[in-house]
Amino acid sequence: MRAFETTPVESTTEGQAAAATLGRAIVITSGKGGVGKTTTTANVGTALAALGKRVVLVDADVGLRNLDIVLGLENRVRYHLLDVIEGNVGLDDALVRDKRSENLYLLAAAQAREKEDVDTAEMMNLMEQLRERFEYVLIDCPAGIETGFRNAIAGAQHAIIVCTPEVSAVRDADRVVGLLPNGWSPELIVNRLRPALVKKGKMLSVEDVNAILRLPLLGVIPDEPGVIVSTNKGEPIALDENSAIGAAFRAIAGRIVGEDRGEVSTTTPEPGFFTKLGALFGGRA
Amino acid sequence: MSGQGGGARRIVITSGKGGVGKTTTTANVGAALAMRGHKVVLVDTDIGLRNLDLVMGVEKRIVFDLVEVVEGRCQLRQALIRDKRFESLQMLPAAQTREKTAVSEEQMDKLIGDLAKTADFVLIDCPAGIEHGFRNAIAGAREAIVVTTPEVSAIRDADRVVGKLRDRGTPFQLIVNRIRPEMVKSGEMMSVEDVSEILGGVILGVIPEDEEVIDTTNRGEPLVLDEAHRLAAIYGKIARRLEGEVVPLTDLEAPSFFSRLFALWKAG
Repeated sequence: MRAFETTPVESTTEGQAAAATLGRAIVITSGKGGVGKTTTTANVGTALAALGKRVVLVDADVGLRNLDIVLGLENRVRYHLLDVIEGNVGLDDALVRDKRSENLYLLAAAQAREKEDVDTAEMMNLMEQLRERFEYVLIDCPAGIETGFRNAIAGAQHAIIVCTPEVSAVRDADRVVGLLPNGWSPELIVNRLRPALVKKGKMLSVEDVNAILRLPLLGVIPDEPGVIVSTNKGEPIALDENSAIGAAFRAIAGRIVGEDRGEVSTTTPEPGFFTKLGALFGGRA
Repeated sequence: MSGQGGGARRIVITSGKGGVGKTTTTANVGAALAMRGHKVVLVDTDIGLRNLDLVMGVEKRIVFDLVEVVEGRCQLRQALIRDKRFESLQMLPAAQTREKTAVSEEQMDKLIGDLAKTADFVLIDCPAGIEHGFRNAIAGAREAIVVTTPEVSAIRDADRVVGKLRDRGTPFQLIVNRIRPEMVKSGEMMSVEDVSEILGGVILGVIPEDEEVIDTTNRGEPLVLDEAHRLAAIYGKIARRLEGEVVPLTDLEAPSFFSRLFALWKAG
């Protein structure tokens, strides 16, 4: 408890007296699984922490947690979200500090429990507690639109929709946008874009995706095999200066804190190492 | 589980983690079985987030759905959509604007049982996760195909699902999807052996990463339709293994392991 009380959260939205002391809770969701919610949560969180923001990442995927692996913290998780909600331990006991950043914490999901075990009102209370201590609360939503989804969005005020350039992902994302509370204005991240395939007409473009979803574009992430390596190793690619994916996540963090207000490029940043390597060996990337 | 008194094989395709290829696998294995002359029904159990119809290219032909059948609003045969390319392939779409809780496990088991009476294979496309939709999908199945990718997160989720299948006494086989042989070779990706060692279970198939798959699913044309496609032969072998034939994994399917083995032989 003490460690947090000594570092009061700075106000990010002036003129909103009531909300001035509370951080922003953002749910990262998609409907379809495997489009990059967890990778996005880990990397945007890492990039926000690198900007000096106090950030907590919440894994809401009870029973199928993975955010701990992507952050490389799986061996340090002792308690989880349900332990806190059920009063078995205090919040401080359950928060796991990131290996690399002092500003970044993880609240892991229970692995051997069910999503139905989470009480929605308690979840909302917990998110509010976290908002008192952190500037950004990023909630990693499970796939689907069942109980786990409803609990994940319950304590949030804002949503980031992650979508890949696939018809099925777009349809699921569109469904999720329709299930979010009225008054939210979700922002879109298009993940795994391969400009070379778009050019050949073999992949939907960002414009194609957003012609259906019609959301403010927060970022475009290129596809590189390197992201799997980073996920498996538990080292967020946002820290990799040579990766185009890392650059894209850092740009998103910049937009979230309001530093970068420029138009989002719909083609993806300059090619990273793997892309260049791929080009050398016949353009497979 | 074959030959259960004339009824069809009732196989759920599941994974835990989303986006590993359940729907693509369901469509292509189903089409491959139909191409081999079997009567096949594909069932989309992802109520609220259906996609099998898109991957099969029948989204504009949906009139009734699974929930309407269960609620008795239509006949089962009215809801089934016959594939235009294969006479013996049909699909039952999920409802898009309903909740997964609209159907119970008992209702699903009965529905799959009804479908099994007139088919050889009923393939059940399971939603991601292990919530109500998952429990419904496995309720009607008598065996499972667990699809996973060689990623730590996918394998951890698959392990959870395997545990639940074991608790239920449902036998399962594995499909390792989206393997990149060159990354396995360089030690950046887990091998098929790593995956099967962790999860246990027999390997039903190994499918390499292929960037054209997204395009085929976007267009609603299962890639097995293109017999020249390098993955078509792999799905064909999976279909033969499901029939019970012993078809060894070829080096195309497991290049890392076999190429290492061949290298040893050559060296020896």
